[in-house]
Amino acid sequence: MSIRSFLRFALNGAIHEVSGADASMMLADYLRTRLYLSGTKIVCAEGDCGACTVLRAFPGTGKVRELRFEPINACITMLAQLDGSHLISVEALAQDQTLSPVQDAMVRQQGSQCGYCTPGFVMALCGLFEKCTTKPDAQTVKNHLTGNLCRCTGYTPIVEAALSLDPESLPPLAERFVTSRVVKALKETQSVAVDVTTPHGKILAPVHFADVSTLVKKYPKASLLASGTDLGVQLNKGKRQLGDIISLHLVPELYQSTQKGSLYQFGAKVTLEEVRVRCAKGIPEFSSLLNVFASPQIKNSATLVGNIANASPIGDTLPFLLVADGSVTVAKKRGTRDIPMTELFLGYRKLALKDDEWISSVAFRAPQKTELLRLYKAATRKDLDISTVSMAMLFDLKRNRKDNRLVIKSARLALGGVAAIPLRLPKVEAFLQDKILDQVLVDEAQRILQESIQPLSDHRGSSAYRRLLVQGYFQQYCDEIMQRQEVEHAAAHS
Amino acid sequence: MQPPILKPTPGAAHESAHGHVRGSAEYVDDRPREARELTVGLIWSPHAHARVVSIDVSRVQKWEGQVWIFDYKALAHNTWGSIFQDQNFLAVDEVHFVGDVVLVVAAENPIILQAALREIRVDYEVLPAILSIDEAVAQQSFIGAERRIERGDWQPGLETAPHRLQGTIQIDGADHFYLENQAAIAYPRDGGVMEIHSSTQHPTEVQHLVAEAVGLSHKDVVCIVKRLGGGFGGKETQAAPIAVYAALVAKACQRPARLVLDKDTDMMITGKRNPFQVHYDIGFTDEGEIIALDGHLYSDGGACADLSTAIMERALTHVDNAYFIPAARLRGQVCRTHIHPHTAFRGFGGPKGVALIEQAIEAIAHHLGMDSYDVRLKNVYQHPHRNTTPYGQHVEGNALPLLFETLAERCDYRARRQQIKEQADPKSPTLRGIALTAVKFGISFITRFLNQGNALVLLHRDGTFQVSTGAVEMGQGVQTKIGSLVAAEFGVDLSAVRVMPTQTDKNANTSATAASSGTDLNGSAALVACQPLKERLSKVFAALVELDPELWPSRTIGPGTRQDMVWDRPLTRPIVFEGGRVFAKDQPERSLPLLDVIREAWFNRVSLSEYGFFKTEGLDFNKVTGQGTSFLYYSQGVACSEVEVDRRTGEVKVLRTDILMDLGRPINYDLEVGQIRGAFIQGMGWVTTEQLVYDAKGSLLTHAPSTYKIPSVHDIPRDFRVDLLQSDEPRTMHRGKAVGEPPLLLSFSVWAAIMNAIQVTSLPIPASRERILRALYPERFARWEKAP
Repeated sequence: MSIRSFLRFALNGAIHEVSGADASMMLADYLRTRLYLSGTKIVCAEGDCGACTVLRAFPGTGKVRELRFEPINACITMLAQLDGSHLISVEALAQDQTLSPVQDAMVRQQGSQCGYCTPGFVMALCGLFEKCTTKPDAQTVKNHLTGNLCRCTGYTPIVEAALSLDPESLPPLAERFVTSRVVKALKETQSVAVDVTTPHGKILAPVHFADVSTLVKKYPKASLLASGTDLGVQLNKGKRQLGDIISLHLVPELYQSTQKGSLYQFGAKVTLEEVRVRCAKGIPEFSSLLNVFASPQIKNSATLVGNIANASPIGDTLPFLLVADGSVTVAKKRGTRDIPMTELFLGYRKLALKDDEWISSVAFRAPQKTELLRLYKAATRKDLDISTVSMAMLFDLKRNRKDNRLVIKSARLALGGVAAIPLRLPKVEAFLQDKILDQVLVDEAQRILQESIQPLSDHRGSSAYRRLLVQGYFQQYCDEIMQRQEVEHAAAHS
Repeated sequence: MQPPILKPTPGAAHESAHGHVRGSAEYVDDRPREARELTVGLIWSPHAHARVVSIDVSRVQKWEGQVWIFDYKALAHNTWGSIFQDQNFLAVDEVHFVGDVVLVVAAENPIILQAALREIRVDYEVLPAILSIDEAVAQQSFIGAERRIERGDWQPGLETAPHRLQGTIQIDGADHFYLENQAAIAYPRDGGVMEIHSSTQHPTEVQHLVAEAVGLSHKDVVCIVKRLGGGFGGKETQAAPIAVYAALVAKACQRPARLVLDKDTDMMITGKRNPFQVHYDIGFTDEGEIIALDGHLYSDGGACADLSTAIMERALTHVDNAYFIPAARLRGQVCRTHIHPHTAFRGFGGPKGVALIEQAIEAIAHHLGMDSYDVRLKNVYQHPHRNTTPYGQHVEGNALPLLFETLAERCDYRARRQQIKEQADPKSPTLRGIALTAVKFGISFITRFLNQGNALVLLHRDGTFQVSTGAVEMGQGVQTKIGSLVAAEFGVDLSAVRVMPTQTDKNANTSATAASSGTDLNGSAALVACQPLKERLSKVFAALVELDPELWPSRTIGPGTRQDMVWDRPLTRPIVFEGGRVFAKDQPERSLPLLDVIREAWFNRVSLSEYGFFKTEGLDFNKVTGQGTSFLYYSQGVACSEVEVDRRTGEVKVLRTDILMDLGRPINYDLEVGQIRGAFIQGMGWVTTEQLVYDAKGSLLTHAPSTYKIPSVHDIPRDFRVDLLQSDEPRTMHRGKAVGEPPLLLSFSVWAAIMNAIQVTSLPIPASRERILRALYPERFARWEKAP
């Protein structure tokens, strides 16, 4: 089995190879200090402002011409994760004296003032037009810019710049930046595992599924890297020192997404963006939640399994997975096993995994016709904000034969942000089971609900505020059912 | 009648727009590292108030020759302060806020620096700290004396008024959140010159403070500023210590030294918009006409004075905002606490003064069952005998009534307010509200001597110009505007004018680019410089047109065949510079190319450079008596915002905002509108989502965009319309008005609309989601917060 001791990626159409200390750098630092490409700015170093946005395409099985460049945050992306990727930085867009159409539109619409966020916006807009085949509307444009902060312009001219562009006049970036020579050079390395030694530790990237477990056992303290959007932040902020890393980016199985009937399964390298797109039809509620979860840059990189493995009590996807029969498949050297989401979280950031186990995929199901799924998220700001409270509600409702009223066959509630781990609420669920929903019942359920939680006060909000949010969402969900009942009742009697 | 709205005319793009979109526009930290350049970091206090017990650097010894550590003893002069010299660059024995810098550390590279910073131990003995205005007031911990503006019989006015209301508003601070963090690089240059590249709004102050701190004279320090990635007031004073730390290292090690803060450090250690606590006691008639006001403002100045006393002065001079207050007593006191020293932020004290009266007006309207817009109309400066501010300045060129009326009509205010009232549904999950508020913002530094500027205009022989002023480009487009002014003077294309980086060896003794004054002071100075230059060229032209080209200086004086041309004769007719040509106004057919005139002037030994100086006339405000003319003029505007509040989550959506401003004759329509939009959104963030949360020890918890939420693209009004009034401003040389700060105060329309939506008369700033819910459901919060 051959091993390579370098990382290889393409930047602006040219191949770069990196080894030694440089291999442990973040892309933004590498661009700025090693290549003198200072158009990529570092502001927050936590993926929340987008000033560091660059474009990335990772060759899958598709044709070269179909390679689509997506915006990512260069400040929290380690070079290790970019091995095998095509990258474009802002400096490459203009050709000689001619600005690219996006740049030109930004100039025409006065889309820059101080200019510091501008390269990031330009790159995010390029990412938008990589996706669009028809003219985007304002809402679509805004959805693609939630990962970029601007403090000067008030955003309006930037949105106008995007709206002034015709996607047809913007050829795919792959046509300019992806040559067969580059593709070949990257492909050659994709089947060869990585073992780079840096002053901080090893960077390992196996190519076979089974090798992951071997390495996890051999390097029990290594960080397992799906996309590292949180690890990158911790490293930048000095909260963690880089040690050994096992990156999963070369393991093909981990990119698999499957859907069998109402059952969905996603490998550890499947990004949140792909999950969002794949769930759009079958579980629109979950897909919508992912719209306000993180930024496009993060979603293009972060994975659903990563969100679970991070085990944050406020992981936005976790309440959903807790009510949607979610489970993870964990692998170790000999075989795999499944752990239901409800048994996965043991304590603050502590998972029911053994030292040699790692999460290789996640599965969950879509709600059935008789079930009503609603996901709620409250935060200081609607977009790209860590939630103060997140909540998932899934009631299975059946019609009572006698009076045609809706009976709660089973109730599931899950909450994030109110305890050290994301919670299901068995007491409330048991209370609601087999009951007919009316306001008296809701009030009593609310009482039990409030008794079951002990929210903290922190900088995102007080305990009482969190209680109020939970109360409000619970009422909102029940109102929806009761209104439906009323409407149907009225229809039946008219 | 057609409303007097200015037709939009596309303005020149920002001079750096191409560089911005290409990523080639250079900021301080984009400068490639020089060989031997050192990276600088800081050790700062994690305590709000403490005594430094010991400093242990023994574990850093392993990097001998690679790490350098400096404390206050390394500085030639350690105290500074723009108004009072009450701040140390480096702590001496005691630290006074979280972020007070104790040590400056330099290292060969960032990796060694980070490792070294972790190995330095400072032990503190924690001392009692004052962390709020209430605590400071209780302990009488103040900065400077109380400021006061007083007029008329306010006390009898209050006592005899048919109605009287009192209230208190809590106004929190806000972080500037400039995208480019504080940064400076110091280069020791040939012959003992220290060259500083700083992200500062005040290059002169950086030059002076660096010189004093490291023991150089002013002549030995040059501060160069190409552009800022945002300033908003946060780099008016606070850039200086950063530059001093870099210069300290550069001088001691005789190597270039770079200090760039990361966002978390920047937010934790630098000061912000002053929090305020304002109290009002207001008397008014049955019709809502204000009779008397007693206003008492406290601000949290933080640990040091910085600009807080000047900020308080601006707050007091803006309490009246757009409204005539016949009798008033306005008092302001800055408190000294153990929080980072607060500083300038777009609007300075203005927004805090204005918040008082706008809140009081909402309360009056609620009390009388009136539309708050009618209360505003009732009190707006309008009648000649009701047109003087509490500090005695006459409000001239007043467009407020016209602005109110025009906007209310254009945005259909009355019908929408009525509709919202009628459609209010107690069962709806959302509540709607609408409000129309105004701003009248005084333009000039209240501190008179700051109202001066100078400019250098160099005309080159190819007909292009280099213009240098003290103005700092931080995104507002001041360089573009100054360039446009000069280009228009000489009738050339803007591309013929380059506005140079701001540099203290070209323009000395300048004021900070602040107080919205950048274009007024520096653009005027440039225009002043253009006048003699134009006059000389006009005279040269007048001589040339009368002369056979064969006898022009370039043909004769070069070879020395003739005497200099006699050119300095009084002009008999106006000369016009237009389209690259020069001609007498009454003889356009006898024009000469500007290039010819320049060439001949040079051969004839006529100076092609000029220095201009400008000062604002007619300012006589007396800070002690609180009376006098404080401002050259007022920038005015109105805004109407409609909001929707989710009553379960407190989420606010701004559905529509209409803004109308009077900016005189704008130099660049697009740039002015850009300032209005940007300032409004920045203000909107302050009054809604931006929360500075400190822990019980005075340490900021929300110190990065993950926790401090400035508006994102989805937060802007769904429908956002900005117009300018067709107008003129005879008091400025360029006939336009300042725009940088005033529109920020229009964001109060959002705040007032939220109050209208949830039907309360008082709401703290920011009106965060939690605070909105607290106002809606006080009893539930009380219940949950009482329970053990």
